[in-house]
Amino acid sequence: MARLIETKDVYKIYAEGLESEVRALDGVSVNIDEGEFVAIVGQSGSGKSTLMNILGCLDVPTRGDYLLRGTDVKELSDKRLSRIRNKEIGFIFQQYNLVKTLTVQENVELPLIYQNIRYDQRFDMVKDALEKMGIADKYKHYPSQLSGGQQQRVAIARAIATKPEIIMADEPTGALDSKTGNDILAFLKEFNQEGTTVILITHDNSIAAQANRRIRIADGKIIEDTGVKQ
Amino acid sequence: MNILQSFKMAWRSIAGKRGRSILTILSIFIGIAAVMTIVSVMEGMKDYTRQQYSQMGSNKITVSIYSWMWDENGNSTGKDYFPDLYNYCNSISEYVLGVSPQGYVNATVSYGTKTTANAQYEYDEQTGRVKSAPPRSFYASDQYLIVNSYELAKGRNLTLLDIEDYHQVCVIGPEAANYFFERMNPIGKKLLFNGNEFEVVGLLSPKGDGTEFNQNDNVILLPYTTRRVLGGEAPTEFQVQARDSESLPIAMSLIGGFLKGLVDNRTGGYNVYSESNWQQYENQYLTMISLVLGGIAAISLVVGGIGIMNIMLVTVTERTKEIGIRRAIGAQKSSIISQFLIEAGMLCGMGGLVGIFFGTIGSLVLGNLLYHITIWPLPWVTAAALGLSIFLGLIFGSYPAWKAANLQPVEALRAE
Ligand SMILES: Nc1ncnc2c1ncn2[C@@H]1O[C@H](COP(=O)(O)OP(=O)(O)OP(=O)(O)O)[C@@H](O)[C@H]1O
Ligand SMILES: [Mg+2]
Repeated sequence: MARLIETKDVYKIYAEGLESEVRALDGVSVNIDEGEFVAIVGQSGSGKSTLMNILGCLDVPTRGDYLLRGTDVKELSDKRLSRIRNKEIGFIFQQYNLVKTLTVQENVELPLIYQNIRYDQRFDMVKDALEKMGIADKYKHYPSQLSGGQQQRVAIARAIATKPEIIMADEPTGALDSKTGNDILAFLKEFNQEGTTVILITHDNSIAAQANRRIRIADGKIIEDTGVKQ
Repeated sequence: MNILQSFKMAWRSIAGKRGRSILTILSIFIGIAAVMTIVSVMEGMKDYTRQQYSQMGSNKITVSIYSWMWDENGNSTGKDYFPDLYNYCNSISEYVLGVSPQGYVNATVSYGTKTTANAQYEYDEQTGRVKSAPPRSFYASDQYLIVNSYELAKGRNLTLLDIEDYHQVCVIGPEAANYFFERMNPIGKKLLFNGNEFEVVGLLSPKGDGTEFNQNDNVILLPYTTRRVLGGEAPTEFQVQARDSESLPIAMSLIGGFLKGLVDNRTGGYNVYSESNWQQYENQYLTMISLVLGGIAAISLVVGGIGIMNIMLVTVTERTKEIGIRRAIGAQKSSIISQFLIEAGMLCGMGGLVGIFFGTIGSLVLGNLLYHITIWPLPWVTAAALGLSIFLGLIFGSYPAWKAANLQPVEALRAE
């Protein structure tokens, strides 16, 4: 499998040199290959979200290199990084992060609009994604009119509408009951089987156990990496 | 992201926040309406004064040529410059429509028992208004009618031949005709000027001048050369009618140059003068008022613009989370900037439209109150008002838009 992600001694340090200095990431080196299903686990405040934000090109390390498909993201312009987030990465957040003023349909459409995809084509892609998530009938609703589980399905539909190569999910089941959480997890597994690399952050050991690989973080350091289970 | 989508998106967010949008529109429309009203009223006023001037005989040049030589009786011995001036003016007809001497005929005019000797103004007993006044006589050239905007109703005008051969003929205004002949046809009648017979050959159309008894129509015009029989000095005052306001200054300088070579400055002098100087002064005055009022309006626009900036900044803060989401799913900085700029531009454009509506009402109302004329804002004023308001939106929206685009995606996402 081709190397997708490679970090070399990555640090993320807040208020460096001050008394209030926080080392959210304290020298993280990790490799992830295409097609993996990785669970990142760790206690609250251990640096999981920080790592995911950097891997997802939403944030930059204070020090250290992050190579995405061999390219050092430091060298990339904001425009290129935006394109990468747009086309190659699908984000799923604990708090769903839907735009409240837009309907389900429009929310899922948004990343496609930023790709300049034509309306009719866009419409089909949105429909596919919503149907896959079993929520197509709600396309005219606003996020506030949906349950948490439904909102997360919409958020996932938005993440997969662009057919990204990587899905990064930051505690996608954290705000949901276990039944709904398991449904969401089933979707992620399905996407992974179809070839998408999935990086999943979770507190829940039973969920982490379903991944091919588990990385445990504490105080910004990787303290355990199971490697890919065969 | 394409432009159409950006507009659609901006419209969604404007429509979604109706209260805020109305406030933004409010903060811009007053300034725009004020600017429009001021500009329209100023333009209307310029137009109005221009009209007033053309009624007063604008584009007219007064030429006076005087002599410093007198005979023993104290009469000026200046030569008659008119033929030269006449020929010159007719040689520059692309700038000049006509030229005529301007001077009273000092003579008693009579027809039968009706005479201007010791003539009194007559008043209407009931209303106390002037009923009739003695007609006034003027020396004229064949171009007097052009210069003084008269038209002939009947008969013929004075001709060059009348002037060259001292024909004792005259053209009469309708009021003067009425004074001497009442309802009879004046053509062919003979008036006595100090006992000299002058045949009436033409009747002028009424021109009116807005006064009770129309002095402009109470006139008799004689070939200026007949002063040979009636006495008096060579004419010193001449009126030249320029073709239009553009020709006027050219004609003035041409005539000035011509007279410089013609009039010997050891024996006399000349002066070329036009009301257009005064007109320029008037326009300067208007420009100054426009500048002052325009300054006030500009300040109100800047205040409105700062209001917009304020509202847009609040919008950006309110929508930090949304901006974070958009950035996370792939919006470039430029997309965020154009989103907020288009939104600000659209809002202000809408404010501009409302402003144009009220500005039009303002122009109409003020035009009516101040000048009793209908002032419709000029198309360029309307277009400029719309352009200006959109421009304001872009200018004052640019800082908030820049701020929005430069939010850290991670921090923005964390906002509530
Ligand atoms: N902007 C910031 N300024 C200062 N410290 C920060 C900032 N962002 C994160 N941190 C700190 O970095 C550390 C790691 O935070 P992070 O959000 O990555 O934790 P996490 O593992 O995702 O926790 P949780 O499971 O609660 O989501 C925490 O101690 C947090 O306080
Ligand atoms: Mg977290």
